[in-house]
Amino acid sequence: MNTDVELEIWREQWQRDTAVPVNLRRSVERQSRLMKIGLLADTVVTIVMGGGTTAWALRSTDADVALVAVATWVFLAAAWAFVLTANRGLWAPSALDTAAFVELSVRRCQSALTTIWFAGALFLCEVAFGLGWGYKHSVQGHAPLGNWLWFSSLRIDIVWICTVAFFGAMAWYRRKKRAELTSLLKLRGEMTAQNSE
Amino acid sequence: MVEIGSSTMADRASLDRAILEQHFERILAANGPALSRLAASYTNTLSDRDDLLQEIAFAIWQALPRFRGESSERTFAFRIAHNRGITYLTRARSQTSGSIEDEEIEVHDPAPGPESDLAQRQRAGKLRQAVHRLPVAYRQVIMLTLEGLGYKEISEVLGISESNVGVRLNRARQLLHDLLENWK
Repeated sequence: MNTDVELEIWREQWQRDTAVPVNLRRSVERQSRLMKIGLLADTVVTIVMGGGTTAWALRSTDADVALVAVATWVFLAAAWAFVLTANRGLWAPSALDTAAFVELSVRRCQSALTTIWFAGALFLCEVAFGLGWGYKHSVQGHAPLGNWLWFSSLRIDIVWICTVAFFGAMAWYRRKKRAELTSLLKLRGEMTAQNSE
Repeated sequence: MVEIGSSTMADRASLDRAILEQHFERILAANGPALSRLAASYTNTLSDRDDLLQEIAFAIWQALPRFRGESSERTFAFRIAHNRGITYLTRARSQTSGSIEDEEIEVHDPAPGPESDLAQRQRAGKLRQAVHRLPVAYRQVIMLTLEGLGYKEISEVLGISESNVGVRLNRARQLLHDLLENWK
């Protein structure tokens, strides 16, 4: 069969499926709302945590409360600084084609893996600071630190449960991102190899 | 004065959004079926296709304010759709830790016209299966060709040279031909 005729037949067969099955407009509006809510949530966390500790420090006469407010803003500033730095150049592809998009996806994946390490380190710093501060102000006085840390109260229990949950989630996320990165690199390799044929 | 100013700004924003919505509707109306076929060629099931199609529509909506008409609307929509397809493929591959090329896709022809008899639908279904089995770089080129895009438009969508489009298309056609011959 003539190859152009064959291609025309394929084209006709291909274009027979003409269904658009979902209400795209409604789903797009829902996704837009979710994105705005996500951005708002980040801002709210910053305002509530930073503003809350600042207000607490202003009302309190205890100098250690001011330390909590300062530390909170330091942690928030570190987080925002890292996020803005890590996301530099990752907002949009260098060109609007698929090759540039794959490249951007690879770099975003690599950035996410770096962010996991940073988030883990920041979380550890926050927990260490929080526990140190809590130990100093503990109503149990200066019990041996080891005993105090070993499930001495509901608050400490919550800290350890959150820590385990956080690192569990990070491990899962890292595994997912590594798999994605492997897959993306393979895809990029396939596309590059076929380009150079 | 402030009230007049803010009212004008609100009117302007509302007008911009209305224009954007009209533009979005026009792109979907013109390219919806093609985008649906494109989504189907990246996915294995109808529900996955619908999910991917929603992601594509959302990505088009997000990118629309930045569209300045440097390319045709069709090229713009297809470029976004293929990029979303790649993201889907990456996610699917990383979840299954293997290739999805070996899985069977659902054969689906939801709009049989009066001329579409069983044999025609079967042939169309086989063609979709065969396209789905091609390596992604070939699959993209053949899909865009079957949608009626020329070399220049395909090269703009995929970010490769026109000569590369030609090389890939020849290879894709050969592979597709062989696959369909083997299934006869």
